[in-house]
Amino acid sequence: MSEPSLATVEKLYQNRGLRAVELKTEGIKTMGYLCCYAPTELLTAAGVVPLRITGNVNESISMADAHIETITCPFVRNCFDLALRGEYSFLDGFVVPHTCDNVARIYDIWRYTIRQPYNHFINVPHTIATGSLDFFRAELDTFKKSLETSLDKHISSDELRESIALHNQFRGLVRKLYDLRLPDPPLLSGAETMKIILATTRLPVNEANELLRSAIEEIKQRPNKQPKGHTRILVYGPEVDDVPFIEMIEEMGFDVVIDDLCIGTRPYWSDVEITPDPMDGLAQRYLEKINCPRTFRPRTGTRKEDLDNRFKYILDFAKKYRVKGIILYVIKYCDIYGFDAVDVKDYMEEAGFPGIIVEGDYTSMSIDWMKTRIQAFQEMIA
Amino acid sequence: MEEKKGLLEGFMLSGRAVKATESAKMIRGITRDMSQRAHAAVAEGKPVAYSFMGGPHGEILRAMDIVPIWTENYAAICAAKRQADAFITKAETEGYPRNLCSYCTSILGIDATRKEIGALPDSADGGLEKPTVMLGSGMMICDPRYKAYQAAQRYNDVPYHVIDWLWPPVTTPISEVQDYYLKYMIEQLWDLVAFLEKNTGHKMNWDRLSEIVDLSERTIQVWHDAFQFRKAIPAPMPAEDAMNTMVPGWFLLGTQESLDFFNNLYQELKDRVEKKIGVIPNEKYRLMWAAGLPPWYALAMFNYFEAMGAVTAIEITYHPPDPVEIPQHVKHPLERIAWRNFKQFSTMMGSADEGGRDPMVNRVLKMCDDYHIDGLLMHRAMTCRTVHVGEIHMANVLKEYTNRPILILEGDIIDMSAFDEAGAQAKIDNFMELLEVTSHRND
Ligand code: SF4
Ligand code: SF4
Repeated sequence: MSEPSLATVEKLYQNRGLRAVELKTEGIKTMGYLCCYAPTELLTAAGVVPLRITGNVNESISMADAHIETITCPFVRNCFDLALRGEYSFLDGFVVPHTCDNVARIYDIWRYTIRQPYNHFINVPHTIATGSLDFFRAELDTFKKSLETSLDKHISSDELRESIALHNQFRGLVRKLYDLRLPDPPLLSGAETMKIILATTRLPVNEANELLRSAIEEIKQRPNKQPKGHTRILVYGPEVDDVPFIEMIEEMGFDVVIDDLCIGTRPYWSDVEITPDPMDGLAQRYLEKINCPRTFRPRTGTRKEDLDNRFKYILDFAKKYRVKGIILYVIKYCDIYGFDAVDVKDYMEEAGFPGIIVEGDYTSMSIDWMKTRIQAFQEMIA
Repeated sequence: MEEKKGLLEGFMLSGRAVKATESAKMIRGITRDMSQRAHAAVAEGKPVAYSFMGGPHGEILRAMDIVPIWTENYAAICAAKRQADAFITKAETEGYPRNLCSYCTSILGIDATRKEIGALPDSADGGLEKPTVMLGSGMMICDPRYKAYQAAQRYNDVPYHVIDWLWPPVTTPISEVQDYYLKYMIEQLWDLVAFLEKNTGHKMNWDRLSEIVDLSERTIQVWHDAFQFRKAIPAPMPAEDAMNTMVPGWFLLGTQESLDFFNNLYQELKDRVEKKIGVIPNEKYRLMWAAGLPPWYALAMFNYFEAMGAVTAIEITYHPPDPVEIPQHVKHPLERIAWRNFKQFSTMMGSADEGGRDPMVNRVLKMCDDYHIDGLLMHRAMTCRTVHVGEIHMANVLKEYTNRPILILEGDIIDMSAFDEAGAQAKIDNFMELLEVTSHRND
């Protein structure tokens, strides 16, 4: 990658597997992972390139229905369909954290059907209580050991520290990218932000850092062509892993200046502290510092305090990025977000940020159903 | 297939499953008593706790004199009485989509209504009491087990607690993880006791808990032994009965009532086997309910199979857990509960990677032989991912090892609108024809 730039972003966005295939020919192993809870630092430290598995919102299911129920999370089904069609055949491994039921179920089906050379499932506590951190730390040790055995390579603490530093750098750069959305109008659109992030999800972390750094510079240098007078908005939801949904919202006269999405702020807003034993910092970050409704934060105090404990970070986003409201996207068959969205919406409305919940089936086809409601919402809050 | 005449059109949804055993007929009384106990506790100012089955909650609550309210069970009763739909619809208007777990949306609908009218909504057995505390669980079984009560806090602003209750992983050697899995489970149980003591004012009675755990272990053994009689031909008890007789096992475990119930069931099944009393007079085919939670509003569908000579002799769903040996040095009742859970699942998972097969597939194949099974039934409940995602895969893998026909019916546990009776009948008819071809038992 001699000329990292927004053109490279576009190229990688259009063909997300591009670099992965090159890596394969260079003899570098790649492993795919689902969700925000796979400790990618361990893979990098092991000399493996971690690749985030995403679906394709523009494709309908062709093969997965013969293997998996239509009541499955459509994001998970879509990823699996791509795997069945050979789009992930280059992967040397499949790493799945226990984030939700759907992801847990797909692990067994995927490993049996796709038969990637290496498979590992990490149990991630659903609550943060006595013993949760110790348990998770032990579970990460088991993962590390299994990786070492499979690769016949010891992962040293120094290698892990170095990897953590690189991934922290990456997360820091993503936050810098989001800083460019603070001005009004923002320096880049929500859709462009997502494209940049997507382009980096299939790169070795050092290359991702390089790309992101130069993309930020390029954006700063270029004239701001973002339309003026759009309504600043926050988008909340799970796996929105391509731009059509965000594009549709922005075409309605919104600027998506901040999000709480799995391909967005969620995996990048907190860093791993480099602790004397780096595994400790890793466990702590992945268990406690990612804000996702799959992790239960024990209730302390009143309901109001509990809601603050669960959602104040969203409110902070809303204030910092000066949004007018929140669009909550719920994917059909997702119990995790389905049970939370009502609370999030009410919490935000109480704080003065009107919200709307839209339900989709992950694909870009379902976006049409939402247009009218989002348009009406725009008219209401603009 | 002449025999199916006599069943009226629409009977699956309008009729009640005919029970074969006396034990199953007692269950409705038991569930009424369970509700009664909750009403009495509330009247006396004693704590009551919302909870889900399958975790360690029941035994701990009883040792602390707190009455459990099993919300899944209550939702199923409402479904059987055709009362659940109104509550699911209520939850939907509150913003909870119909595709979320319908046990949970039924209860959210009740919770919302109770809060709105300031009284118990009119529903089965005098209604569902407002809980003093709610108890969820993560990691084991399903997400709604911890997310739904969290949502319910908007209606029941009461203390809420979640434990992680673990299943050992399938692809990691159990011996490598056993120590820290057990350690975490035990810590979680101590946490639960502390939470309950703090929020209900009731203290743990440790001697009582030891007795309860003893009772549980004895009950599981008798329950397991009773089920061995179901290997007999003709089948002494059908799945639709077992889906009722599971109530004292899963919801009253650790009580004398539960142990007595299974002692009686043992005697009844023994007696029926000795006298060769089958579920139906002319048993032609034996089926296994191989996956899925049942459509509670349509259990009469089993009678449709029976009218054609097919009895559902055994089921995976709600099957009693395996009795397990807990090491001698483990004495503390909380530790025994954790060990029992871990061992039950690790025994089941033990065969996990035999030929790379799923442990459930291994279990089904073994049960096919043990219970002389001719065909397999599954049900896909559209609102529950955790139990039902994987059925197609399981059927695919099973087909690599057995030519027994497999039927997957579609519906829901609670939501009747998901069930197409005519479609189900057509599928069953096709399946029965296939069964006639593949089964050689009566040649
Ligand atoms: S969208 Fe929901 S169900 Fe799907 S993977 Fe994410 S948390 Fe799980
Ligand atoms: S196992 Fe399925 S039906 Fe039972 S509570 Fe969980 S999601 Fe609902």
